[in-house]
Amino acid sequence: MITVAAILIIVVALLGAPLFAVVLAAAMLGFYSSDVDLSVVAIELFRLTDTPLLVALPLFTFSGYLLSESNTSRRLVDLMQALVGWMPSGLALVGFAACAVFTALTGASGVTIVALGALLLPALMKSGYSEKFSLGLVTASGSLGLLLVPSVPLILYGIVAQQLDVGEPFTIQDLFIAGVLPALLMIVLLTGYSLWLHRGGKIPRIPFSGAKLRSALWAARWELPLPIVVLGGIYGGFFAISEAAAMTALYVLFAEVVLYREISLRRLPSVMVDSMVMVGGILLILGVALAFTNYLIDAEIPQSLFEFTQEHIKNPLTFLILLNILLLVLGAVLDIFSALVIMVPLILPMAVGYGVHPVHLGIIFLANMQIGYFTPPIGMNLFIASYRFKKPILVLYSAALPFMLVLLLALMIITYVPALSLAPLEWFGSP
Amino acid sequence: MRSLIGFLQKIESGLLALILFLLIVLAAWQVVARNFFDGGLLWGDGFVRVAVLWVTLIGAMVASRTDDHIRMDVISRYLPEGLRRLSARLTAVFTALICGLFAWFSTTFVIEEMEYGTMAFGEVPAWACALVMPVGFGIMALRYVLHAVILPAKNEEQNQEPEDLPEELQ
Repeated sequence: MITVAAILIIVVALLGAPLFAVVLAAAMLGFYSSDVDLSVVAIELFRLTDTPLLVALPLFTFSGYLLSESNTSRRLVDLMQALVGWMPSGLALVGFAACAVFTALTGASGVTIVALGALLLPALMKSGYSEKFSLGLVTASGSLGLLLVPSVPLILYGIVAQQLDVGEPFTIQDLFIAGVLPALLMIVLLTGYSLWLHRGGKIPRIPFSGAKLRSALWAARWELPLPIVVLGGIYGGFFAISEAAAMTALYVLFAEVVLYREISLRRLPSVMVDSMVMVGGILLILGVALAFTNYLIDAEIPQSLFEFTQEHIKNPLTFLILLNILLLVLGAVLDIFSALVIMVPLILPMAVGYGVHPVHLGIIFLANMQIGYFTPPIGMNLFIASYRFKKPILVLYSAALPFMLVLLLALMIITYVPALSLAPLEWFGSP
Repeated sequence: MRSLIGFLQKIESGLLALILFLLIVLAAWQVVARNFFDGGLLWGDGFVRVAVLWVTLIGAMVASRTDDHIRMDVISRYLPEGLRRLSARLTAVFTALICGLFAWFSTTFVIEEMEYGTMAFGEVPAWACALVMPVGFGIMALRYVLHAVILPAKNEEQNQEPEDLPEELQ
């Protein structure tokens, strides 16, 4: 009976039932099979109110929606262009950096490709980059920046991992400190690839212009305090994450509605509702996943899963390789938020058993998901780019492939050199 | 009937925007007050935490209007039209059933909280804060019953025309 119900749940999940209902059904089935009163699932969902950190998610998501609805993308690209556009392969670097910043602020929901890609693609092609390279760049960069502050998926990883209490305490700040070097590594390798591809001065350099920089800075004047609030507040330890989120949301609201006047008061409610529909979907899955996780822990499933893998995989290195493969597949099939709340409770205890630090696992997890976004054949960003730029999906497969290989190299370094993520914690992390 | 539904949807959206607005203002005020005036409102943090639950459930309710929830999209996009519609009905029935069950069990949770008389923050009882769970899931259950009968028109990206695409690409 219970086996039949479990199979049924898996079937409807594959047929595309909403994930919150799938996970909720699994949790209820689990508790039912262990004779626990089912009102426990309501108690578990109500536990969303016990996690003060959680408020960071709606606040940062709303800020991201407001920024992507205003002309921030254009100001960001202009500013980056004035800052680093004069370097060799400058415009490619502009693309990587601007996409990383924009994705960190707005989440990798495809909005980076839609908002920034439309600006970057024509600019890249006009300055001599091939169409294939340019398409690949904007597609692959659509998820770059997931490791940078204030990326909502990284915060979510922290919240889920902290619920599990695996005995290695860490803060969300630690995650953001650990993400810096891996994110830089990706940008450096990608830029290196572009430099190598266009070696011998194939792309004419754009001279540096002080006037352009001044005008770009002036255009972005109301948004320039934002990095100071977010970066300074969080890295400086001045704000907790939820506090930084509150200040960011209020400031962005003020800047875009009052100072720039790019979002009218009449339009504001619909942006608010849209962003909260996104948040509602994510947090509801998180809430029911907390219930499901508690059932799993009661039933000692992570423990037996760990024992099972221990029998077959002795070597931590082999474990990490298999983990990367699993996560890459997962990243292409599941959206990042569901993957986090469903898989982290299963994977984290195992990884800790193999001696992987929870912070390092978070960075590995997200780096994999980032690549999963544009992994053929079903990575979401490939479809968004294909639709947005009206190119056949096969063209995008081949355009994104070289970038994927470069980022896979970065992923391997990130995975097998834990110090890249963890060493900065020794100096800047929480004690 | 149609205008009544429209009216209720407006209330739903309005409430959602209002709670988010209060959430932003209050959360920011708490930060300012803690750092500059030695302490914020006593009930402020409690309100913020409950507001997150409300935003979650009302947001999810709005999402269920058009069946706009996160899902795994592995098989359905490759199914032939007829089978795809069948599977959409099947998953809607499943979702309605699960939401209905949750609405039922969260009602018993609310009733228990009423009997215990616990307070969530200030003078606000926990049961009143938890009420959003049975109401929210009840409405979602109803919406998915409707989706099972009348399949929601999918506003997939493929159906929309891209706006403001630069000329070079068109």
